[in-house]
Amino acid sequence: MFGLIGHSSSFRDARNTARDLGFEDLADGELDLWCSAPPQLVESFEVTSSTGKTIEGTYIDSCFVPEMLSRFKTATRKVQNAMELAQKRGINITALGGFTSIIFENFNLAKFQQIRSTLLQWDRFTTGNTHTAWVICRQVEQNAPRLGIDLKAAKVAVVGATGDIGSAVCRWMANKTGVAELLLVARQQQRLEDLREELGGGRILTLEQALPEADVVVWVASLPQTLEIDSNSLRKPCLMIDGGYPKNLDSKVISEHVTVLKGGIVEFARDIGWQMMTVADMANPRRQLFACFAEAMLLEFEGIHTNFSWGRNNITLEAMEQIGMASIRHGFSALGIDPNTLNPQPLAA
Amino acid sequence: MASSLLDPAVDGTPVLDVELPDFTTEAYKSAYSRINAIVIEGEQEAHDNYISLGTLIPDQADELAQLARMEMKHMKGFQACGKNLSVEPDMVFAKEFFSDLHGNFRSALEENKVVTCLVIQALMIEAFAIAAYHIYIPVADPFARKITEGVVKDEYTHLNYGQEWLKANFDSSRDEIIEANKANLPIIRRMLEEVADDAAELKMEKESLIEDFLIAYQEALMDIGFNSRDLARMSAAALVA
Repeated sequence: MFGLIGHSSSFRDARNTARDLGFEDLADGELDLWCSAPPQLVESFEVTSSTGKTIEGTYIDSCFVPEMLSRFKTATRKVQNAMELAQKRGINITALGGFTSIIFENFNLAKFQQIRSTLLQWDRFTTGNTHTAWVICRQVEQNAPRLGIDLKAAKVAVVGATGDIGSAVCRWMANKTGVAELLLVARQQQRLEDLREELGGGRILTLEQALPEADVVVWVASLPQTLEIDSNSLRKPCLMIDGGYPKNLDSKVISEHVTVLKGGIVEFARDIGWQMMTVADMANPRRQLFACFAEAMLLEFEGIHTNFSWGRNNITLEAMEQIGMASIRHGFSALGIDPNTLNPQPLAA
Repeated sequence: MASSLLDPAVDGTPVLDVELPDFTTEAYKSAYSRINAIVIEGEQEAHDNYISLGTLIPDQADELAQLARMEMKHMKGFQACGKNLSVEPDMVFAKEFFSDLHGNFRSALEENKVVTCLVIQALMIEAFAIAAYHIYIPVADPFARKITEGVVKDEYTHLNYGQEWLKANFDSSRDEIIEANKANLPIIRRMLEEVADDAAELKMEKESLIEDFLIAYQEALMDIGFNSRDLARMSAAALVA
């Protein structure tokens, strides 16, 4: 069995979902009440691969909402308790979705393995970042040409380059895609220097410097609410992959020359009998899902019960290739754009 | 799906290491006199309740008597914790604190309602105790910490005992469990509210007490046979003040 730990994208959404499920008390409750709510097993479902193999999965809502980010003890508890629940239910491999893995990583929760009577076994969990990074790279490779961008001549900016996903994307772009130049954007200078050394190239720039130069911008950082982007200063055409969380880039860039694609999203070959992706605001919630969730499915399909993606900057090209091949084999394709309509559409993997 | 963060509001490494309270202040001792009394009274009532349950389930009276002895051992351990800090437990307060739940247990006992008795003692009070002990351990004085860690190990055994009985008799017990839950969970919530200020003095947060209680309680309900929707519905009363 595989597991997915997710959460509502806002407190308002969480209340609406509670109301839809008939939990009026929760729906009417203030944020303080939600801060005390334990994680919930929301639903169980089956997924059948293109190979014919069927696996069983469970979705756990941690009852975290992004409004709790400023309360780090609360946020921490939500993540730890959801992980404990997954392990206690005997789930082999669980993906940490949305803010879950961000909280785990940034609050250094690997230090706290004992949760009540449960010793968390890290090999039962995955951040799903290897698959997310692979899908984002595939989205760049497949969609840039559709907009007339030749990657061999293109400058690709990676915003959040030193993060776990960002560094993996840079590694792939530098070694597998042959882009003309990588523009590296992140906050921490030393990590940027280290990354450039590892890559053997790339130019370190500020966000303001990088944007006007980039033909493709891969965003793998949460955007400050105050961030403003002058669409007129961008290259024409420009492809933007919104791979951060939450995915709110399309509200910041509105221009006919700029195509914003939700990054790290995959579409499955057939319907999945779940409700949860409606909550995640997917265009086709029966088939579309976060690539990190799909990683847990892939690991279960492949019988790889280990923390495939874990820690920071451990994603290798080999692991990306391995998970990418599995992704295609089991029926996932990266979300892409239809060149005729410029509406997001799935492409063949 | 982790990404590096440009938003400083989300980034940074907060301090999760627990800061211990000053166990010698008057404010701490005053709060401890009530919390310690609640724990002592809770263990005493648990002892009495398990002995009483033995009269309703005679074939398991021996096992229940054994549990009762264990609760008595816990009570003595917690009495020692109070003495260690030179705190006199406020037993009058504690008896009043438990009076509603105690009354409901006695009424159910008189009506031979085993299920209701088990829900109150073996599920609710035990879950309440386990939550409180878990939250207390990291902020306890070294003496009490050791005692409480030993108690927690034992407490898991009784919780399972109540679960096993209700699980084995789930179909015939279901309606009464729901009824007992409805009648008693608001009392648990009120008790959590009543103890919140004193608990905060001991650096135990109400928010996590409620969450930990619900985790233990829901786990028991699920094991007994309720589905996840039942759990959310049944436990809402513990969240709403």
